[in-house]
Amino acid sequence: MSAGPPPNLRSAPDTLSYLESASLMSGTLESLSGLGEDGSSVGSDSEINGLTVRRIDKYGFLGGSQYSDATEKDIRVEVARQREMKWLEMFNNWDKWIKHRFQKVKLRCRKGIPSSLRGKAWQLLSNSQELLQANPGKFEELEREPGEAKWLDIIEKDLHRQFPFHEMFAARGGHGQQDLYRILKAYTIYRPDEGYCQAQAPVAAVLLMHMPAEQAFWCLVQICEKFLPGYYSAGLEAIQLDGEIFFSLLRRTCPMAYRHLKKFKIDPILYMTEWFMCIFSRTLPWSCVLRVWDMFFCEGVKIVFRVGLVLLKQMLGSVDKLRELQGMYETMERLRSISPDMIREDVLVQEIVTLQVTEALIERESSVQVRKWRESRGELTHQPGRRLHGTRAIFENKRRASSPMLALSSRTYLLSCCVYVCVPFVESVAFVFSGSLR
Amino acid sequence: MQNNHHKERLYKILVIGDLGVGKTSIIKRYVHHNFSPNYRATIGVDFALKVLNWDQETVRLQLWDIAGQERFGNMTRVYYREAMGAFIVFDVTRPASFEAVTKWKEDLDSKLTLANGKNVATVLLANKCDQGRDVLTNNGIKMEQFCLENGFVGWYETSAKENINIDEAANCLVKHIIANENDMLQSEVLDTISPQLEKDKGGTCSSCFRSQ
Repeated sequence: MSAGPPPNLRSAPDTLSYLESASLMSGTLESLSGLGEDGSSVGSDSEINGLTVRRIDKYGFLGGSQYSDATEKDIRVEVARQREMKWLEMFNNWDKWIKHRFQKVKLRCRKGIPSSLRGKAWQLLSNSQELLQANPGKFEELEREPGEAKWLDIIEKDLHRQFPFHEMFAARGGHGQQDLYRILKAYTIYRPDEGYCQAQAPVAAVLLMHMPAEQAFWCLVQICEKFLPGYYSAGLEAIQLDGEIFFSLLRRTCPMAYRHLKKFKIDPILYMTEWFMCIFSRTLPWSCVLRVWDMFFCEGVKIVFRVGLVLLKQMLGSVDKLRELQGMYETMERLRSISPDMIREDVLVQEIVTLQVTEALIERESSVQVRKWRESRGELTHQPGRRLHGTRAIFENKRRASSPMLALSSRTYLLSCCVYVCVPFVESVAFVFSGSLR
Repeated sequence: MQNNHHKERLYKILVIGDLGVGKTSIIKRYVHHNFSPNYRATIGVDFALKVLNWDQETVRLQLWDIAGQERFGNMTRVYYREAMGAFIVFDVTRPASFEAVTKWKEDLDSKLTLANGKNVATVLLANKCDQGRDVLTNNGIKMEQFCLENGFVGWYETSAKENINIDEAANCLVKHIIANENDMLQSEVLDTISPQLEKDKGGTCSSCFRSQ
């Protein structure tokens, strides 16, 4: 035990202890030991049964590396209220906003979705709300299925290992862990060909922090199928491919970091697997995680690439920073545990939105890397669906799918004036139809 | 000057085995000397560094904690690269995790060999021994025999929770890694024409040697 306080002044507790029997039975958190890493109790927190209980932060964390200090500045109440009103206005006319004023929606997501409306906004942005409404009773139906033992076995082992310092998931058998089990299991029945991947659990847990289980399930479905198709599939080819794409984008955006990683033979999958598969939910300070997810739901995987590039630029982007990282291990260590002090929410978001990495660039690089993959490793064994870059793409895709005529129209309307006349009609029907689903 | 007496050795060691057998907890116990039920599932790979004093030398162990789920096995080739030793871990309360041991060993041996073509030193850990030893006793497995047949240099019943046998297992692995390394150095020396071999004959440089 060191004598002084740990160098990291966020002396959040590293261990929690439970009155196990009670918490196992009822799923309640009976006791927490709020000891700092140096063994001293943390000041200004209350004491229960002789144990110091640390104050829960505003995101529900009891401790751990993602615990937020109260030093974060909250936005003014009037500003927050105004933003909520704007978002409520958008909710009321959602499809119109996406169709006609998407740039404004995007801008508002970049500013951060008001926390009171975040869950609802994510469901609309991902289009999972519509999926839920189109499949009434489906989730309960999936829940009634017994499920495959091989998946359930793994899921059960992971339940207590997701955000163990978050109030919702800290208690063994608590409601958070129960809901997590429900949606992960339901997914394996919904997509038996995909089953369960360990990286889905933190993603599902973040969703559960913001919405009920059924809503979280459909939102997870959208992430796995539309935003990040193939990421969690057996073989994990999609994530490895994105690793190559990412590395190649790094070469353009930060040659210094690129050369450093190449020099020490640090393969992208060594550091970006967790970043990408968990959408940075285990990597960044919590306020940043939420801002990243707000933008991710709106703009798609592009945001994930950008966050990764910005992080590498921050950590490996100058001679000074590289001087102390003279080796593979030192570099890996730096990338594995990003100090929260290095990341400021507003600076991070600013860099993410200004980085010149577009959907088109990612798609172009993607085809290059797919070709290379085929040349060196042969055919991809898993063919995931086409990746949709965020809300707008999902919306367009849905509109095309909901009307076969519209899907055809792009090819035929120049040839046939009949179809040409029909298109605006079909479009408006499609719009009314999708509107009525909401 | 001091280098001759105080060498530093650096070894990359893999910790592999099925999901939930306690790989992360073993590393946590070994490196940070504690055990906590509040930890996160490993996704991809994690790292820790352990520094040992070994016969007046400093030995640095880079421990690579590798996700246990089967589908991450598609990335193991990258994780395994340049490792010098490995722990394969199973959970004594779960027979299936023991059955997976041979699968992990095969994966390891097929993707990783030392410069001399030999397999890396691998120690088998029967973890969670504080919770019973069902797999070992019920199946009447002769562990020594099993290790011999499957190319493990040793095995230990361990408990990360109760801190049982983890240091011992690590020492065993390090001993074998160093032995392997010395073997390789020796064979290199034998294969190479080295002017050093002439040292006993007197001369300190080539010109002196000629004049002799």
